[in-house]
Amino acid sequence: MKKIIIAFSLVLLTVVSCKKELNIIDTNGPSPSAAASEAGVISLAQGTIYKNGFYDLKYSDGVYGRFWAGATGFHEMMGDIIGVEAANAYINQIGCPNKVTLDNSSVLLNPSAINTQYALLRSVNVNSQSGGNPTYYEWAYMYNMIVASNTILNLSGKSAYTSEAVSKKATIQAWAYFWKGYAYARIGSIYYAGIKQNATFEDQSTNGNYVSKESIIAESNTMFDNAATQLGAVTSTTAYNEVLGKLIPSFLQTGKGGIFSKAELLRNIYTMKARNILVNTPIAAMSAAQWSSILMLTTSGIKSTDLIFTGRTDANGDFLGTTIADKVASSATATGTYKLSERWIQDFKTGDQRFANNVRSLNPGIGNFNQDRGNSFNTRYTLKKAGYGISGVIVYANSDAGANEITLCGTFEENELMKAEATLYVGGFSAASITSAMAMIDNVRNYQGAGLAPTLAADAVAAKEELRRERRIALAFKGLSFYDARRMDIIDPSKSRTGCVVLAGTSGALNTNATINYGFLDYWDVPDNELAYNPAAAGSAPIKNPK
Amino acid sequence: MLFFLFTFANIHLNKINMLKIKVILAILCVSLFSLVTQAQVKGKVTDAKDGSPISGASINVKGKRTYAISNSDGTFEVKADQGAALEISYVGFNSQTVKGSSNTDVALTQDSKSLSEIVVTGVGVATSKKKIAFAVESVNLSNQVKVATGDVAQQLVGQIAGAQISSTNGSPGAPLNIVLRGINSIQGGTLPLIMIDGVEVRATDFNSLDVNAYERVEVVQGAAAATLYGAQGANGVIQLFSKKGKPGKPLIEISSSVTSNELLNIGGVSKSRFHAFATNANNEVINGSNLLTFDPTNLEYSANVAYSALSVTSFANKAYDKNLQFYDHYKMFFQKGYAFNNSVTISGSKDKMDYLLSASNNKQNSNFKNNGDYQRSNLTSNLGIELAKNLTLRSSTQLVYTKNTLNDATGRGVLYSLNNTRPFANYDQKDLDGNYGAYFGNAVGVNSYNPNYVNQYSSTLDNKVDVVQNFNLNYKFRKYLELDTKYGINFQQQNVIYRYEDQELNKNAVSQDYFIGNYNPNTSGNTTGEIDNINYRTTFQNFLTTATLRTDFEKDFGLKIPIKTSTQVAFDYRKNNFRQFYAYGYDAPIFTPWNASQAGVYKVVADRGTSFVTYGTLINQRFDYSDIAGASVGVRRDFSSLSYVEGGKAQSFPRGDAYVNISNFNFWKGGKINDVVNYFKIRAAYGEAGGQPGFGQRDILLGAANLGPNNVFTFPITPGNKNVQIEVSKETELGFDMGLKLLSGKWLKNGSISFTQWDRKSDNVLYNVDVAPSLGYGSAPQNAYGLGSNGIQASLNLNVLTSKKFAWDFTTNFSKQTSKITKVTGAEVVITSAAGSTNYVLREGEKIGQLYGYIILKAVDQINPKTGQPFIDKANQGNFEVASNGWVVNKTTKRPANSADKFSFGDPNPKFNMSFINTISFKNFATFSMQLDWIYGSHLYNQTKSWMYRDGISSNYANPITITNPTTNQPETQAYTAFYRGIYQAGSNNGTKDYFYENASFLRLRNISASFDLAKFTKLAFFKKTQLVLSGRNLITKTKYTGYDPEVSSGSSNSSFDRAVDHNTIPNTRSYTVGFNISL
Repeated sequence: MKKIIIAFSLVLLTVVSCKKELNIIDTNGPSPSAAASEAGVISLAQGTIYKNGFYDLKYSDGVYGRFWAGATGFHEMMGDIIGVEAANAYINQIGCPNKVTLDNSSVLLNPSAINTQYALLRSVNVNSQSGGNPTYYEWAYMYNMIVASNTILNLSGKSAYTSEAVSKKATIQAWAYFWKGYAYARIGSIYYAGIKQNATFEDQSTNGNYVSKESIIAESNTMFDNAATQLGAVTSTTAYNEVLGKLIPSFLQTGKGGIFSKAELLRNIYTMKARNILVNTPIAAMSAAQWSSILMLTTSGIKSTDLIFTGRTDANGDFLGTTIADKVASSATATGTYKLSERWIQDFKTGDQRFANNVRSLNPGIGNFNQDRGNSFNTRYTLKKAGYGISGVIVYANSDAGANEITLCGTFEENELMKAEATLYVGGFSAASITSAMAMIDNVRNYQGAGLAPTLAADAVAAKEELRRERRIALAFKGLSFYDARRMDIIDPSKSRTGCVVLAGTSGALNTNATINYGFLDYWDVPDNELAYNPAAAGSAPIKNPK
Repeated sequence: MLFFLFTFANIHLNKINMLKIKVILAILCVSLFSLVTQAQVKGKVTDAKDGSPISGASINVKGKRTYAISNSDGTFEVKADQGAALEISYVGFNSQTVKGSSNTDVALTQDSKSLSEIVVTGVGVATSKKKIAFAVESVNLSNQVKVATGDVAQQLVGQIAGAQISSTNGSPGAPLNIVLRGINSIQGGTLPLIMIDGVEVRATDFNSLDVNAYERVEVVQGAAAATLYGAQGANGVIQLFSKKGKPGKPLIEISSSVTSNELLNIGGVSKSRFHAFATNANNEVINGSNLLTFDPTNLEYSANVAYSALSVTSFANKAYDKNLQFYDHYKMFFQKGYAFNNSVTISGSKDKMDYLLSASNNKQNSNFKNNGDYQRSNLTSNLGIELAKNLTLRSSTQLVYTKNTLNDATGRGVLYSLNNTRPFANYDQKDLDGNYGAYFGNAVGVNSYNPNYVNQYSSTLDNKVDVVQNFNLNYKFRKYLELDTKYGINFQQQNVIYRYEDQELNKNAVSQDYFIGNYNPNTSGNTTGEIDNINYRTTFQNFLTTATLRTDFEKDFGLKIPIKTSTQVAFDYRKNNFRQFYAYGYDAPIFTPWNASQAGVYKVVADRGTSFVTYGTLINQRFDYSDIAGASVGVRRDFSSLSYVEGGKAQSFPRGDAYVNISNFNFWKGGKINDVVNYFKIRAAYGEAGGQPGFGQRDILLGAANLGPNNVFTFPITPGNKNVQIEVSKETELGFDMGLKLLSGKWLKNGSISFTQWDRKSDNVLYNVDVAPSLGYGSAPQNAYGLGSNGIQASLNLNVLTSKKFAWDFTTNFSKQTSKITKVTGAEVVITSAAGSTNYVLREGEKIGQLYGYIILKAVDQINPKTGQPFIDKANQGNFEVASNGWVVNKTTKRPANSADKFSFGDPNPKFNMSFINTISFKNFATFSMQLDWIYGSHLYNQTKSWMYRDGISSNYANPITITNPTTNQPETQAYTAFYRGIYQAGSNNGTKDYFYENASFLRLRNISASFDLAKFTKLAFFKKTQLVLSGRNLITKTKYTGYDPEVSSGSSNSSFDRAVDHNTIPNTRSYTVGFNISL
């Protein structure tokens, strides 16, 4: 009997230990305090910008991909660089024109049930669409980046540094301000309103005071200025190089990417500030002061030899899976998920080596897609993966690990073309200004290995056309094309692009003088996923584009 | 004997303190003296049915306070005079009064009424159902014909009143959906707590447990009982009782069966034999001036098909008879599957020990060609030892080894690819090198691919080892107290290896840039070849010790009050450790064979663990007043590791129940009603149970990720929330049980009815709810909901025919339940689904799981319920008419008319489900049984069909419809593709629409079987049983659903909300089984 009781008691005692056993530590991730050191804040400053800002989101879809294939890809769809048949997140509809008038005057309407992009965006920008709402992505990535920047600014101010505290802190803060400026630039350039968000990740808070897109762009410029100010506070180049070398992922410190000097970083800032002006004002509404500002900023902007912000795939796809161009390209017979637009192909000048090196013709009939999915996305072309190997010529697509470089922020090409445009307008399209601007276009063409003869333009119209075409070609696949379509005033429902190449009908009949009425919304409404959980407070700017 | 003891003491104990020996001897002498001076009555209690001994029967000497309990071999001894009246009773058997003698053999007859069963689950102490105050269902497995899958879960379908157990995926090894009482949790799903002999089983899948190892199943659905099992019991409890060896000679049972399985296609899903592609005068399919040709080198079409399905002149009326031919892909890829079950059991009992050893093997192959197979082996042992009088130790073990080579485990990948392939692709064609092609080009459909390619270049090996080990030490004091300790360890180790072979030499894959892999982010020909190695390890421990104090006021205290009490005090400890590890290697070397160490790129994707500890105490006090009434109250207090950060507060769950057996009052007993209703009990119960937050849901950590060679900090997409609380579910149930005496002859002799109505409310229901993206992350756990459920469960048992030769029993089970969202805290919550383009939105006041979508009109003047106005303006109504297929179409465009707005389609869950079970046995020789299941009012979104509408693949395209030509005003009949494609893109492409939301009610002949025991017929001396079993499962289904099977669901198994979508889910199988059961 005693034995039995002792046996039962012993079993009980061995198991009933103290409450300490309840204290299970989650060891699957570091605690936030791990980011409070110099190494920690630098690690956070790299990881949160590249991963949270461009890669990790609660919704994603392999068809359109992450920021550098999806969110920016939507711009290329609306900019008519690419078309899509797949319907994921309505990507075949956000770039589908309202109307295509063919050479024989017959009309192809948007075949979708919701047959204008205005109506589509209003219909799908509802919270219940979750990841099916295409307007959600850019907003979410960029606010991830803004909150990351705020956290980096906060932690870098509190962190202890092993040495050169002033310079290291200033370098980290310049980095954070730059990306915050970049994120606001993207928000203000596509959404009708935004939020000024200064909370950190740990704050877990936001505000409902929506401000106009103009205020957001102003905020972007302020952040770029703050970045410049912080650069000015850097006294030790060694410390700056050391920190920047750790902020930029090592596999991106190659090609045009690398540890740029303070001066180079400043020039990157000026180019971004010029973009903020250029892409957010229709050409017709640009003031002389704005053109002068752009000229001034681009004159101080990125040079052809400068290092810039770049992206590459790596073996494990840590930062990029595929790019926009990768989603177009294929190696042999097939087309990619994204289809190359005939309107982009037609903007190449004859003999352009960029075309020769990258564009592959499809077998007849292969590029004709389901007519019920769109009215303009049939194509005869696609991109050749890794190009045709013409030396010195840019390659658009190569999904092999590390093989291809994309540009994240400003580029020499963008800066030079903005400079050319400002030169024309500031110079009143004088012969001298045209000559000067055409030379800048040639700089870009040569930089990319176009192999074209020097550009000549007899008059303002010809000069504008050269500029338009070169911007279309040189800045394609970078998430900038829609800005041009908007500021060149062809996307309004009442406007159109004429002289278009369109393959129409079930058999893809070639039209060379079609007219496309795009009818795209110029600035998107604030995504409903934000509004559902953060409604606009009293006194907010309109959150919906009145168009 | 006395002499022997003295001798023993003298020889062996002479060195021990003599004083002690004297004391022992004195005691022995006294006790022996008392024994020889009193009359001794001896005997044995057996089961009248088969003569097997009954242990634990109580033997009371009438008029005395003397009693005994029968031993494991049924024998007993009790102090009583010869000829004294002994009352022998045992739960589940009719009591008998006999005269005591030195050889009092008593054969008890089983009480055939189900109400007399004893149950354990939810009461802690084995109690007759007659004295239980809540609904508890029990299923006796031992006599049932076993299902072909050989697992317990599948066996239970339709057998539990109140429960919805659905076989939602027909793939081998696929789990079932189980809902006991409503939806209580969103993230926790609906799976109940699974227990074996009182110990929780958490690591092992319910459908891995061998049906041969268990004798009985008890299911407690309500919270009043679930409270006993703590926070984990909120979804109810399913408890399995292991078979034990029975006294007598060793029993050897061998069973063997073979089953053929065929995928159901109740709705006749098929592909259109006619197309609407552009053709030349010779009916050859062309694109522009290009004839579509098939390249035998690259296995691809030279051009896309050219057609515009929305064109009013596009008709699906051209045969595939020229350059494109029709292939029946279902014939090409579906196959008859076979399942083999073999099992051997040896059991028995000798001296103080009982034993059972069993080995079973179940092997099923896929219903898809070359898709591998599924094999499970179970080794079971159950050993009981009586260490000392009333002290027993039991060890039960089940080892499960599961080997699964199903290359598409759910089969949905194969079905999706086939259903998105236009029927002219010959996937069996190999290229000139003898390889299959992956993708034949956009002509075949952009979502098409060839499963043959997948099977040629990839393979799966999924090995799983489960250990379910329980120990139980039990001591029964002579009076009052019983101590019981249980310890269970449940372990599962799973290793999954996916292999993708190098594909750089496959001409089709290279040409189409189509390579298969899993993690490889840079797939191209020269980086193909991948091995993924995935490991999961779960170790779960459950320790439970219980002290039960029983008193009987009459027997123990001599009081004239017929009160019995039992007090249960328990300590319960549970710990779960889970670890997962995924690694991949890709970029295979050029040689074969190769392994992961030779891969060009190697990376660990996940290395993550979670732990959980909970412990608590339970006190439950029960009173019974005679057989008339009883009540119990209890409370459980649980600590858990997930509340530790809050200072380790315990969560309390109270419970209580009461019953009154009205039929035991004199007015009833004496009344005429007793002639019809000889038993009537009303009962009520209340209980609370809960669900703890998931691991990490309270922690705010940084993420860490690779960025090239560096590891960097990131922000998690879903950080924890320090403030999340435990989910608590409270339930009240009311019910009655009645026993019926019907007719006096052989027919309809007895019956019983049980009825329960329940109402449940869950508060603080947790979910990872979206946050505003401007917070910089995606979502956060929040106690976002209140849920409310109510329902009815009922069962009726009838002894339809009771004669010497025949016994016909009939059971019907009924369940009706509904759940709605009673409260949403904060903003709306959206949950993603695969139903068209619309996700589930969880809104206050609405039923959980309902879909929203566009309405396709059925009347031209149909009124919009939101506006009260017609959907189509009166002025425009003339352009529309109801086409011959019942849908409103635009006469000009031939397209259907749809609402511009989205509407709720209502609750997709069944309004009720019922099953009807008949068992007829003839002279213990032949048994015939049949089960019909009826699910009424359920709906499924036929996403499979929606996708088949996209590319003109569904056979519906060829169905002509009649629409008036607005120009000629004459009816015209054509297979208008504009209508079908118009359905697909009504509202929005792939948008959710009621057209695909179908009635999925069904009546199914779930099971029919006949068994014959040849041993009984031929009286073979050597065999106790030689039984031949013929059975069929899912042989007949009546439904209006047009998909393969109305029972499927594509949501994750036991999802709380995603229960109404059929997205290329594998249908159940129609199966025929031949089996042999032999007992020696």
